[in-house]
Amino acid sequence: MHPNIRTYEETSSRTPGFHPVAVEARGLGQQVSTAERDLTILKDIHLSVKAGATWAITGASGSGKSTLLGLLAGLDRPSSGSVTLLGQALDGLDEDARARLRAGRVGFVFQSFQLLPALTALENVLLPLELSGQTDARDQARHWLERVGLAERAEHTPRQLSGGEQQRVALARAFATHPEIVFADEPTGNLDADTGARIIDLLFDLNVQTGTTLILVTHDEALAARCSHRLRLAAGRVVDAGAGADA
Amino acid sequence: MMRWLRLGLTLLRRERASGEWRILLLALVIGVGSVSTTGFLGDRLKRAMTERGAGFLGADLLVTSPRPIQAWPDHDLDTSQAIELASMASRGDLFQLVTLRAVDAAWPLRGQVRIAQRPFEDGQPGPALPPPGDIYVETGLLSLLDAQVGDRVRIGASEFRIGGLVADEPGRIGGIFGLAPRVFLRADALAATQVLQPGSRITYLYQFAGAPEAIEGFARALKPRLDNTQRLTGAREGSQVLRGPFANADRYIQLTALISLLLSVAAVAIAARRHALRHYDQAALLRCLGATTGQLRTLYASQWLLLGLLGSLLGVGLGALAQQGLAALLLPEAAWQLPELGWAPVGAGMLSGLLALAGASLPYLLRLSQTPPLRVLRRDLPPLPLAAWLSAAITGTALTGLVLWYAQDAQLVAVFLGALAALVLTLAILARLALAGGRWVRRLSAGPLRFGLAQLLRHRLDSTLQLGAFTLALFLLALLTLVRTDLVHGWRQQLPADAPNHFLVNIAPHQQQEVSAYLAKYPIKSSDLYPMIRGKLVTRNGQPITEGLSEAAREDNTLRRELNLTWTGRLPANNEILAGTWHGNRPGDEISVEARMAERLGLALGDRLGFQVGDQTVEARITSLRSVQWESLQPNFFVIFAPGPLETLPASGLAAIHVPPEARDALTGFVKAFPGITVLALDKLMNDIQAVFDQIIAALQLLLGFLLAAGMAVVLATLLASLDARQQEAVLLRTLGAPRAFLAKSLWSEFLALGALAGLLASACAEIAMALIAQRLFELSPQWHPLMWISLPLAGALLVGAGGWLTTRQITRIPPMQSIRALS
Repeated sequence: MHPNIRTYEETSSRTPGFHPVAVEARGLGQQVSTAERDLTILKDIHLSVKAGATWAITGASGSGKSTLLGLLAGLDRPSSGSVTLLGQALDGLDEDARARLRAGRVGFVFQSFQLLPALTALENVLLPLELSGQTDARDQARHWLERVGLAERAEHTPRQLSGGEQQRVALARAFATHPEIVFADEPTGNLDADTGARIIDLLFDLNVQTGTTLILVTHDEALAARCSHRLRLAAGRVVDAGAGADA
Repeated sequence: MMRWLRLGLTLLRRERASGEWRILLLALVIGVGSVSTTGFLGDRLKRAMTERGAGFLGADLLVTSPRPIQAWPDHDLDTSQAIELASMASRGDLFQLVTLRAVDAAWPLRGQVRIAQRPFEDGQPGPALPPPGDIYVETGLLSLLDAQVGDRVRIGASEFRIGGLVADEPGRIGGIFGLAPRVFLRADALAATQVLQPGSRITYLYQFAGAPEAIEGFARALKPRLDNTQRLTGAREGSQVLRGPFANADRYIQLTALISLLLSVAAVAIAARRHALRHYDQAALLRCLGATTGQLRTLYASQWLLLGLLGSLLGVGLGALAQQGLAALLLPEAAWQLPELGWAPVGAGMLSGLLALAGASLPYLLRLSQTPPLRVLRRDLPPLPLAAWLSAAITGTALTGLVLWYAQDAQLVAVFLGALAALVLTLAILARLALAGGRWVRRLSAGPLRFGLAQLLRHRLDSTLQLGAFTLALFLLALLTLVRTDLVHGWRQQLPADAPNHFLVNIAPHQQQEVSAYLAKYPIKSSDLYPMIRGKLVTRNGQPITEGLSEAAREDNTLRRELNLTWTGRLPANNEILAGTWHGNRPGDEISVEARMAERLGLALGDRLGFQVGDQTVEARITSLRSVQWESLQPNFFVIFAPGPLETLPASGLAAIHVPPEARDALTGFVKAFPGITVLALDKLMNDIQAVFDQIIAALQLLLGFLLAAGMAVVLATLLASLDARQQEAVLLRTLGAPRAFLAKSLWSEFLALGALAGLLASACAEIAMALIAQRLFELSPQWHPLMWISLPLAGALLVGAGGWLTTRQITRIPPMQSIRALS
């Protein structure tokens, strides 16, 4: 193992800011005003995600899954309620303070991969490492590309990679900084079943190896079943919250 | 900070390969290129015009004084001096009043004197200083003294040989009606003639030449030291005929610089908007990864600064090369050898590029750095809009600063920016109205045409922006073209091909019919024959004319010398009655006075003016005020009498004639037939003036060409900025089975409609703007330009159509799958 790659135990015991609860939501609600009326997207969500746990947020399209993910990750402000991310209450933080909190400690995987098209695979992985000021960033990035099986494609740009390959680069990018929590929004939504399954395997492998907390949004029941916990949403409300397959 | 700078540079380097910032860079290069070309060229043209003017004046600066000037401000300029006085020249028993000009070896510092051996020859260029014992004389003197070149003439106590004829000399135009022919002699020969007596009316002429800055500084220091009998004339003021065209060309150059600046800012703003739009996703992702607003600002500002520097540098280089090449191509004559390029215009070009980029892009940069991170999940989420006042303040400040810097005239800037604001508002309203009008056209059309027009109407905001940008570009180009055409037209009118090129002076009354009969035998066009009497204005309503006048008015040239008075019942062609009524043929004691002279001396209709003519006083009442085109090279008069009062006095006649080259021999015969009549040849001078006009016209053409490039940059930037949206729609249509021809036709109809509409709107704006500025800025009379209403929409349709086809043709060629990949 690369000397800079740490295990879950190491991460949890050595990180000074380690919090037993990775993310917590209390009475979370989100409303938007349209011309005709106020629209409730989320209402009264309570959630407590322990460090190292894997959670699936499921529900039909428009049930508020991605909105909840955005609020938990501090990408948006709720209309009501509060979110505590990595021990820090988000409601007191402005946009920049929330960005600083995310830097290097929160990873993301998106349905549309969101790689920077101008950068090579290696540079995309390098991005969060360099931005969080890690030494030896280039070696680490190479190592992570190796771990997702793309060492040979390091100098290729996203346009030269298939969808599955792009998502693997995105996974390497998400885990490269040893984040305490990774948010994944429909990570297989743009992939065929086989490729999607391989990506999920890789995601869970990396999660186990690094001990990162994982929150993923999906409408894929099989995928949700692999998580330790799940939260089912319908019309912005929690209709079912409970343990998953291996909880 | 360094991390973000480094990332900015990496992204910039990587995006170069994908052509991401090609459009912004292109807009910058063309923008700065055209601004610096117009700047370089404008600057050099102005200097070249001054040089030309100096050639007409004989110096960069001329000081005339009735007394010698001993103390001058410190300077290291070239100098030359001359003494001018009236004296008698005689040969045998013939005597003639002449104007002696005693010159030193350096005279004239600029331009050249041409000395001929026979009348009406072009002569050879040479110094004005005759060899010892010789004088050079004006041709007119030969007939007056019945002499030839080589004959001896007495002046005061000395005798001289006529060594040659002055065929051409700088500063001639001012003195064509000076009835005493000019004689050049050596300054060291003047004392021996003993014509310099105490009380002689002497004019001391001092010429200066040197670098423009040195001349400017010297003139500034000298001005306060001169009293009102002493006069300082700059190179631009030496020739009355060229003063107007020079001033107009200056303004045109200034207007060109402003307009190219504006077009560049527009092109850069459009490109910057597209650039920002295409980077919102990137900014959102970086925010997700933990970038703060400040870090994003550092990232994008460093990128844009580098782009700005690169684009400006390339633009300045392009401008320098282009103006050098084009100037050499269009202005090959040695006199137009343009001054060297310096670092100052390079710095100015760079700075204007950066300022234009800052003004145009800062609002987008600020928005970009405030992209909400949530956009990674919701692609439709735009960055927070920037307060309109902030955007306007940033762009407005940068633009005002730039315009102020270029125009250096607060009033012009205020007018320009005010007009610009009104224009933008009008354009927005007109564009909306025009698009609304497009609905019914859509109902009438079918197939691809209908689809193309529907596209226009569907993207209302984008279409309005595009239409606005095209209209702005077409309008500004049309405006410059119109101004140029009207200016050139004005100059051509000023010097038509059959403008008089010779003057006949001293025609005795009994010779008039003979002269007319002689001229009628040749293809010579003659003006009316004006009787001429010299008289001094002495009284107004019975009181001395100077009474109640300000000191400046008392020193007016029209009071200091005798005026050439004439009488005629027919209003001269270039004159226009501004007040009162023209006296016509009714005999009476009525006069018509030139309006500006009347204004300076406070004369009004109904005033009775008294003129001292010889030993008599003639009085007449002002019944009309006239404008006179002094630059027309026609016989022009301050005061014209009605037939009657002057007719009993001895008068000589004056006529202006146009002698075509093939009838030049007639002149030699004329001089023999009428030895007492002086023939003043102006053809050389007119050719010189015509040459200057032609060069100014060529130069303006050159500037306009560059503006076209800047205008095209706006059109291209606008088209490229809309490429993404078009590509998306085209992919969809092709996937749904639309054939390529359908797409091409719908794109063509969309662009043609946009271009034609923009041309129509631009015609309206240009017509209004011309009506407003023609008179104020260029002293042109407003005209209606019907041809423009047809040509501009056509040009617009072609320009936008062709530009649109060029930029979008790839859309119709790429297989849909490839496009889908590229877009995702």
